[in-house]
Amino acid sequence: MRRSRRSNLPFVAAALLAAAVQAPNYRVTYRLRVLQPAAAAGAGADTQLLASGVVTGPPETNLRLSLRTPGAELRGLLGTLPEPDTVNLAALFFSRRAAGRSRRGLPMWEEDSYRRWTRLAWGGTARLYPFGPAGAGLPGRAGRPAPWVEITVGRQFAAGETRASEEVTIVDSTILLDAQAVIPPRRVTVRMSLVRGDTASSQRTVDFVPEAPGRRVSFVLGGETFDFDVTLERPEPPRTGRDSALAVDADVVCLRLLVPGSSGPARVRCGRLDNVARRLALVEGDTLVATFAWPAVR
Amino acid sequence: MHEDWVRQVDLELDGELSLPERAALARHLASCRHCAEARVSHLEMRVAFARSAGEPHARTVPRPRLRARALAIAVVLALAAGAAAGWLAHWRWGGPGAGSIEATRAAFAAQ
Repeated sequence: MRRSRRSNLPFVAAALLAAAVQAPNYRVTYRLRVLQPAAAAGAGADTQLLASGVVTGPPETNLRLSLRTPGAELRGLLGTLPEPDTVNLAALFFSRRAAGRSRRGLPMWEEDSYRRWTRLAWGGTARLYPFGPAGAGLPGRAGRPAPWVEITVGRQFAAGETRASEEVTIVDSTILLDAQAVIPPRRVTVRMSLVRGDTASSQRTVDFVPEAPGRRVSFVLGGETFDFDVTLERPEPPRTGRDSALAVDADVVCLRLLVPGSSGPARVRCGRLDNVARRLALVEGDTLVATFAWPAVR
Repeated sequence: MHEDWVRQVDLELDGELSLPERAALARHLASCRHCAEARVSHLEMRVAFARSAGEPHARTVPRPRLRARALAIAVVLALAAGAAAGWLAHWRWGGPGAGSIEATRAAFAAQ
């Protein structure tokens, strides 16, 4: 029996749609190198590396960049707009420069905000002059060459890995570089333990979905069992336009803890998914130590 | 009451009174010894001012005149003092910066 070619069309369309929905998943990587001419350093090379950083994450990962030198500071949120063979690198910057001192001797700062973008090939490098191409935004830079940041944007195909990673290395302590991945977590692994004095309960590791209904978590400490209703929430919206533009709360979650049946207020502790232990003071002197982390790769 | 007449005496000596006011003042001075003596004192004081200005026979108290050279020196000194104060204030407290704001902003350059 001869099958019609037309009868296959729905299957082909469905297959194409599925392929489009499950587009090749990749991880975007921002490689940062803060450099300055080596003439000031007296080294043999042309340039001197002051700091470096690598931030990777799923395609929607943005980069929150912070660069501080004596008298000037640049903070920005960089994001990628991918095209087939190139990538647009768009950035929103907030800069802050020392503009002198007031009559009372307090420092005065000049603040500015603006947008910038550039287009480069995947794997290509863009040079960012954080204080202007001639370093005019770097106050009192007599004898000091202006640094620049080389940003290489690349992608590696990888499936299913949604966690972000970030790494920063400071070579010259006169400069402060911070690079953070900005991506709202879909799931969060929270490690918790209850502490009383110098005694701690065994660690409980729970995967939470932000804004999902909470779970009851039990801890055993000193022969007693303690129950808590734990939920994970998004933080309050940022209070300032600057914080909102820099998405300072995009990768922050808040742990909300309530004792079942208690009329007392809920305890809340917010933080990034950075494996840093955070303490939550409870009634009767107990402390809950919580660590937010990206969930393990499935 | 006497203060008002003494003030009138001053205005009269400056030539700023109308004829009826001068007549009224003259009538009062004819009958008021205190005000008449005040007028004499004011006149003698003006004579002393005129002498000190080097014009003892002047009809009015000569006003001090600035010579062109002294005026030029004063202007130059004032400008220099202003510039020095501005430079000092800028050095001490800073200012809006000399270059354009665009030159201070971050910029991308594709490699």
